[in-house]
Amino acid sequence: MNEVKLWTASDVSVWLTNEGLQEYTDALRNVDGPALLRLSEEDFNASPLSLVTGDGGRLLLERIETLRLTSHMKAHQNNNHENNHHANGHAGIVLANGSVSNGKIHNGIPKNGLHSEPVRILIPQLPEQERTPYPTEWSKTGVAFLYALFCFLTTTVVISVVHERVPPKEESPPLPDKFFDLFDRVEWAFSICEINGVLLVGLWFTQWLLLKHRSIIGRRFFFIVGTLYLYRCMTMYFTTLPVPGMHFKCSPKIFGDWEAQSRRVMKMMAGGGLSITGSHSLCGDYLYSGHTVMLTLTYLFIKEYSPRRFWWYCWICWCLSAVGIFCILLAHDHYTIDVVVAYFITTRLFWWYHTMANQQALKEISTGNLFSRVWWFVPFQYFESNVRGIVPRNYQLPFLLRTMTCTRVKYSKLDSRES
Amino acid sequence: MAASHLLDEREDDGPNGGYHVMVTIEDRRHPQTTPTGRPHPSSVMSSGDQVDDKPDDSKPTRFSRGFRKALRKNQDYIRIPVPRSSRSRLPSEWWKTGIAFIWAAFNLVLTTVMITVVHERVPDKSVSPPLPDKFFDYVPRVEWAFSVTEVNGMILVALWFIQWLFLKHRAIVGRRFFFLQGMLYMYRMVTMYVTTLPVPSMHMHCAPKLYSDSHGKIKRVLQLVSGGGLSITGSHLMCGDFLYSGHTVMLTLTFLFIQEYSPRSLLWRCYHVICWFLSAVGVLFILMAHEHYSLDVVVAYFITSRLFYWYHTMANQQALRGSPHNHLNRIWWSRVFNFLEKNVKTTVPCTFSWPLSLPSVCFKNPCKSYSIVQSARDE
Repeated sequence: MNEVKLWTASDVSVWLTNEGLQEYTDALRNVDGPALLRLSEEDFNASPLSLVTGDGGRLLLERIETLRLTSHMKAHQNNNHENNHHANGHAGIVLANGSVSNGKIHNGIPKNGLHSEPVRILIPQLPEQERTPYPTEWSKTGVAFLYALFCFLTTTVVISVVHERVPPKEESPPLPDKFFDLFDRVEWAFSICEINGVLLVGLWFTQWLLLKHRSIIGRRFFFIVGTLYLYRCMTMYFTTLPVPGMHFKCSPKIFGDWEAQSRRVMKMMAGGGLSITGSHSLCGDYLYSGHTVMLTLTYLFIKEYSPRRFWWYCWICWCLSAVGIFCILLAHDHYTIDVVVAYFITTRLFWWYHTMANQQALKEISTGNLFSRVWWFVPFQYFESNVRGIVPRNYQLPFLLRTMTCTRVKYSKLDSRES
Repeated sequence: MAASHLLDEREDDGPNGGYHVMVTIEDRRHPQTTPTGRPHPSSVMSSGDQVDDKPDDSKPTRFSRGFRKALRKNQDYIRIPVPRSSRSRLPSEWWKTGIAFIWAAFNLVLTTVMITVVHERVPDKSVSPPLPDKFFDYVPRVEWAFSVTEVNGMILVALWFIQWLFLKHRAIVGRRFFFLQGMLYMYRMVTMYVTTLPVPSMHMHCAPKLYSDSHGKIKRVLQLVSGGGLSITGSHLMCGDFLYSGHTVMLTLTFLFIQEYSPRSLLWRCYHVICWFLSAVGVLFILMAHEHYSLDVVVAYFITSRLFYWYHTMANQQALRGSPHNHLNRIWWSRVFNFLEKNVKTTVPCTFSWPLSLPSVCFKNPCKSYSIVQSARDE
């Protein structure tokens, strides 16, 4: 179709028919192109147009507006041959009132709500913490660390208390255990278990130092470890199992001597409860096994937060962990039930916590979310409410090393893409 | 009016493929447009003055005429997928329930066999005295307490059974109950077998050991199964099944199921509280009767509640099922779970219906009745 300005009356009626506005053809039969463009609302208030129009001519006026703009643009285009990309650049189709814009607008000129000047949209400045989905929040990590420390201390105190109640070997012989029936005791096995445990903890600590989101992950580790040791306190305290083997040499009981007991507690904490440091001389802490907890938990964390391509590293850690647990039993240092229950509780708690942390829907209380009925749901919400999404496995040198090594500016987006 | 305007679009948006049609009906006070397609609009507008007085029921006809016009102009139609009704999202699949039932029954029988085996290994009371237990230090033994526990257990099981009979989706719920029960008894087998605890109290009379008498052992197994393992039926003669407590499992599990699959209104909440009391008193009285160590009860409660919550969260959260970051899938029975719950696409709603096959039209009694929706549906 040629320019609107060159339209004759018959062109106008053809156009009206094509637009579905046949009702106007009769009233506008003498109107040509330029006259069409000059139509306005007042014309629709007067006859003959007022007789045929049903909406005050709004529809027709809109179409005419389109035509007007098209012709204007075409004129503009013809004037600037070099800028013939200009018109096509206006690709934004403005949707007025949510309605689909007229398909005739190919070059994308909005027919309604055209603004000649750009619109300023103010983006509210978010505080530093909300800008990132993984805020560091070291205070919460500190709280989790204190909680873990408290649980460790409580466990040590409870072990000391329970030690007084362990029946002596002569009175209460070791309970029948299937594993002990099948495998005889191996003396040096427990040292292997502890060496493996120390190795795994060292590896996990190194890995944790290199993680980018170490505050969030550290928080999770401390919270889970603390809760596991808290559960352990309870199970140790309720029922006291006898020593698993006659080879045990338990320290003598000090009844009521608080000073000596607190010294014992200090010694145990300083040695980490390991027998290779000589602090594992108290008996009674059998159900469930703390060594299994540490071996399993460090392995789970290592696996969860290490890159996929280091699969051999995960396999090595798995072997360390499995051998360590097997050696506990081989040394007849714990009943089989202790190890089984410890493994069960550790894995369930780890998976439970991480599933809740990874799904936004599980962080809220609802009838469909039965995970929210667990007693530690409120501390969980405190720790993980600002973490949105799954914590990615990004690596970064720790702060001190970073300031020493390089001085170039760090772009956080580039960092995350590089890792 | 706006609708016909929108539907007047041409096929100019070819490269886009489709377009979404938003249909809005506005209440305009304007004189109505002429019906399209007429070559002589003047003939229709002869009643121009009466345009404003046209009754409103001509609006739908105008609307449908606009639609017809649009459909005539635009020959391609849009396919609007209608989501399937929720009835097909909760299929019954009784055969899966049957499999779960067989699983539970199998585990029950196997547990009974295991108790018989473990019984032979329990050390004698004189050799291995009862272990020190904190609860036993504070609370002395009460003789009749264990009967109370068992009576509570039977009441709870009966209540749950009646409630289950009246549930609408009893196939799905029954499947879940049997699966969880079987799983818990399987775990119990493992913990009983690996380490044998001595009897908790000197009052317990264990049946004599039959060292290689297989006939006697089989008879004991049958006796235990037929009596349900309860001491009031006289089948609770064997010792060694201490960690963890099967009574606690049943009390806790039935209570959790009763609570989960019943409405949340005030009357029902009273019912929940009563069941909770039955359950709690039952568990407490196990300890008061010195029939189990405190550890047995604590571990049993922990495992039962965690397993229940885990299973139901996996079942209720559809987003978890296909997600690669879902740690719940690392559990060893996730394949079995997928098999049982694959076709259950939504949370099982709490609706009741008669157990016998009356047509459901006769019995419209949902737990939560929405009065507006009900009346709208009835019109």
